[in-house]
Amino acid sequence: MRLIRIKHSAMASICMCHFILQLAIVFTVVVPPIVDSNTDSYWLLRIKSQLIDPLGALKNWSPTTPICSWNGLTCEVDQTRVIGLNLSGSGISGSISHEFSHLISLQALDLSSNLFTGSIPSELGQLQNLRILLLYSNYLSGVIPSEIGNLSKLQVLRLGDNMLAGEITRSIGNLSELTVLGVANCNLNGSIPVEVGNLKHLVSLDLQVNRLSGFIPREIQACEELQNFAASNNMLEGEIPSSIGSLKSLRIMNLANNSLSGSIPSSLSLLSNLTYLNLLGNKLNGEIPSELNSLSQLQKLDLSRNNLSGSLTLLNIKLQNLETMVLSDNALTGSISSKFCLTGSKLQQLFLSRNKLSGRFPLELLNCNSIQQVDLSGNRFEGELPSSLDKLQNLTDLVLNNNSFTGSLPPEIGNISSLKSLFLFGNFFTGKIPVEIGRLKSLNTIYLYDNQMSGSIPRELTNCTSLTGIDFFGNHFSGPIPETIGRLKHLTILHLRQNDLSGPIPPSMGYCKRLQLLALADNKLSGSIPPTFSYLSQISTITLYNNSFEGSLPDSLSLLRNLKIINFSNNKFSGTIFPLTGSNSLTVLDLTNNSFSGSIPSILASSRDLTRLRLANNYFTGTIPSELGHLTELNFLDLSLNNLTGHVPPQLSNCKKIEHLLLNNNRLSGELPPLLGSLQELGELDLSFNNFHGRVPAELGGCSKLLKLSLHHNNLSGEIPPEIGNLTSLNVFNLQRNSLSGIIPLTIQQCTKLYELRLSENFLSGAIPVELGGVTELQVILDLSRNLFSGEIPSSLGNLMKLERLDISFNQLQGQIPHSFSQLTSLHVLNLSHNHLHGLIPSTFSGFPLSSFLNNDHLCGPPLALCSEETVKERMSLSNAQVAAIIVAIVLTSTLICLVMLYIMLRIWCNWIKVAISSEDGVMVEQKTRNGEYWNMNSPEWFPSPDKQNSSTTCICNPKIDAEARENTLVR
Amino acid sequence: MEPFISLSFIFLFLHYPTLSLSTNSEGNALHALRSRLSDPNNVLQSWDPTLVNPCTWFHVTCDSNNHVIRLDLGNSNVSGTLGPELGQLQHLQYLVLYRNDFTGKIPEELGNLKSLISMDLYDNRFEGKIPKSFGKLKSLKFMRLNNNNLTGSIPRELTRLTDLKMFDVSNNDLCGTIPIEGNFESFPMESFENNRFNGPELKGLVPYDFGC
Repeated sequence: MRLIRIKHSAMASICMCHFILQLAIVFTVVVPPIVDSNTDSYWLLRIKSQLIDPLGALKNWSPTTPICSWNGLTCEVDQTRVIGLNLSGSGISGSISHEFSHLISLQALDLSSNLFTGSIPSELGQLQNLRILLLYSNYLSGVIPSEIGNLSKLQVLRLGDNMLAGEITRSIGNLSELTVLGVANCNLNGSIPVEVGNLKHLVSLDLQVNRLSGFIPREIQACEELQNFAASNNMLEGEIPSSIGSLKSLRIMNLANNSLSGSIPSSLSLLSNLTYLNLLGNKLNGEIPSELNSLSQLQKLDLSRNNLSGSLTLLNIKLQNLETMVLSDNALTGSISSKFCLTGSKLQQLFLSRNKLSGRFPLELLNCNSIQQVDLSGNRFEGELPSSLDKLQNLTDLVLNNNSFTGSLPPEIGNISSLKSLFLFGNFFTGKIPVEIGRLKSLNTIYLYDNQMSGSIPRELTNCTSLTGIDFFGNHFSGPIPETIGRLKHLTILHLRQNDLSGPIPPSMGYCKRLQLLALADNKLSGSIPPTFSYLSQISTITLYNNSFEGSLPDSLSLLRNLKIINFSNNKFSGTIFPLTGSNSLTVLDLTNNSFSGSIPSILASSRDLTRLRLANNYFTGTIPSELGHLTELNFLDLSLNNLTGHVPPQLSNCKKIEHLLLNNNRLSGELPPLLGSLQELGELDLSFNNFHGRVPAELGGCSKLLKLSLHHNNLSGEIPPEIGNLTSLNVFNLQRNSLSGIIPLTIQQCTKLYELRLSENFLSGAIPVELGGVTELQVILDLSRNLFSGEIPSSLGNLMKLERLDISFNQLQGQIPHSFSQLTSLHVLNLSHNHLHGLIPSTFSGFPLSSFLNNDHLCGPPLALCSEETVKERMSLSNAQVAAIIVAIVLTSTLICLVMLYIMLRIWCNWIKVAISSEDGVMVEQKTRNGEYWNMNSPEWFPSPDKQNSSTTCICNPKIDAEARENTLVR
Repeated sequence: MEPFISLSFIFLFLHYPTLSLSTNSEGNALHALRSRLSDPNNVLQSWDPTLVNPCTWFHVTCDSNNHVIRLDLGNSNVSGTLGPELGQLQHLQYLVLYRNDFTGKIPEELGNLKSLISMDLYDNRFEGKIPKSFGKLKSLKFMRLNNNNLTGSIPRELTRLTDLKMFDVSNNDLCGTIPIEGNFESFPMESFENNRFNGPELKGLVPYDFGC
């Protein structure tokens, strides 16, 4: 755009030079002008006085100089009046004076490409002789004055690239001589005035990049001389008027990025001069009219990003001048026609990505021998690539990703010497990379990821010395990384993750000095990092996780100052991590599960953008550096499973964005810093398996987003603060094995999302709060074992319908097992042992092992010994009325049954007597007992007896129960 | 002449695929779920698809092999639909989605969750049928589908679930008869309340989807 403008002003200045020369010749005969208000010079000097002219473009505008020699002016042949003023690109600022209106002979006014501000003065409408008005590329604001419509001789009006707002004035329709109207790149709104149809001589209409809305006026069909219609990047809606087809002169039509809907009118096929058609980014639907094939002059066609459907009816054999076809991001179906291309086709770019096209690789395309770029990605193409692919000798980009292509890459691909980009990822390609690939000297990108390719990475690939990007992630490549990889001096991306590569990293890799991303994770690579890595000065990401790398890191790695992401987790690296601290741009450092030792370098805190620091499961010693508190972006801090000592630095509470703080399984000591409670984003806090003492800080109740709170296996004492109830999102709460005392705070019932609660192995006392029964999402476990709880088990615990494991063993609980426990239908591990419970074990528990109930006072019933009469009585006495009713019912029913049976037996006996068969009675007795099962059929319930139900439920999870029981006994 | 040719062609080249980000199918499946959901309380904020696996995402729990075993979105004020991708969580044991505003059908693909122990979909607005594929959930012990808008009959395939201990479909719009085979003989009446059932199945007398 700028380029064109510069050309413009250059041309203008050349003309100007000629003019000045001519003037110089006639200068001597011209009388110096007299300054009075009727002359142009008077007004021009007034105008000059209002302008800021830092480049001195108006320097020779002075009363002593003949006006026709003034810079930028064109005079009439008789040297009396100024007819042209061209100050384009002169760096002038100020506003456009209304006094321009006094230059009444002016035919051309060009103030374009300056720094003019303010509005366009309406007085310009008085310049009745004006034919050309160029104000584009300034900082003009306000509206287009309607007086512009008075300029009846105006032929060229260009106001674009300003900050003009408001609507396009309707008076524009009066400019019947207008050939060029340009108002692009402003802030105009409203609709395109229908009066545009009055502009019979209009050749170019440029409305691009505004906020125009409404329909494209049908009246535009009257602009019969229109060659360029550009209205892209507006908010135009409605259909494309089919009347546009009558614009026979149209060569360029650009309506991209609007909200046009409906189908593409087939009348567009009448635009026989059209060379450029761009409708991308609208809401057009329906099929592409096959009539468009008659646009024989068309060179560029873009219909992408619409909702076009149907098959691809456009054919290059008809569109013989077509160079670019873009139909991406539509819903086109079917295959590409066999007549698509003919030899001699001019097609260079074909973009059909992200449609629903299917079929095999279109062999027809191989006739498009001028083609440079083919993008068929994101379709449903299948089958193998043709070996004759090398017919496309001009091909630079082959983009076939995200289809269902199969088979191996044809070796002939090595003959396409112009190939630069090869995108084949997301298909089902198999087989090896052909060694012929090494002949592609221009190849700069090869993306084969997400395929099923195998074999080794051919050494020949490293002959492709133009390569900048290699991505083979997610294949089955095996063997070593080619030793000669260092030949790829331009390589910036090497992504080999998730293959079966083995062997060491070749030392030559250090010579890929432009490398920015190196991803070798999820392979079987081994050995250590070669010292040559210190040459990779541009590298920002190295991921080596899930391999078998070992050894210590070369000291020289500290030269890598641009490192941002390092993930070496799950390897066997050892030694210190200081070599990784050369960069202060780290965002992720993950060294989980290695054998690193030494201290955690405090200099890590100089990477102020560090978000994830994961050093878990190594042999780090020393203290947690308090400098980590400077890491205000830190989101994840995992130092667990090391040998760290000392306190938790209270400075960590400055890491306000921290969500995961995992310091478990170290040898940390001291009290828990109450300031941790200010970490509002904290979701997971694990300080378990350390030597912390003191209280559980009540301030932790401030971490309102906390989901997992694990403080188990420490020496914490005092009471559980009631503020725990503020943690209403809490899922998992574990205080197991501390020295906590006092009662369970009743506020626990507010933790309604708790599904795992472990308070075992403490000195908690008092009764188990009734409120615990309100935590109805408890599911994984409720473990209160090995405390000093006393009193009766609250029957509210029977509400924990989802609870799968309940352990309240080793307490001093008394009384009976509540009836309500029969509702604990999800329970599959139960431990009530070592308490002072007595009475009948609910029948629903009879499937649990003996160990669930051992060492109580007088528990009885299955699986323990049967209860004595007294126990049963005692149990029954709880609900005398019910029992009475049941007894009455039983008595009545059994009497009835007895009577019925007596009757039946009598009948049978009678029959037997009659038949007089001498058989023994035992068989009969047995049959009757078996028949006894059928009573269910007659009973009002249609479920079997409760006892049966229990036996079936318990046997479901018997193996699990045993395992869990063992686990429980091993705790101490 | 002002320049009129837009740069759309050139932009298309910028569309070119960038590097593959992640392979973890479980993370991708969960991220696909996230993209379907409206999440006013930002409970899914930590679900960053660029991480190696989803194991550090909140409301997701993994086992020691970094396989997702729990998804906890109960009572989280999320709405939207479930998609087929959830079926890729091959190791999932606990699917906890109760008390939200989930709508649409329960995807057939949930039947592929072969490790699933507990499915809590209650108190939502799920509609359509109970997928027959649930008959493949061999490890399932707890299935709570109550308080939804489910229709159709109880698939007989569910009677093959020998581990099933808890089955609750109360407060739906289910029809047909209630199975009595397999573990269904032990489920209480309350599990079937407030539907349009015709009572327990009477073998050989009426088809199980009678009245549907």
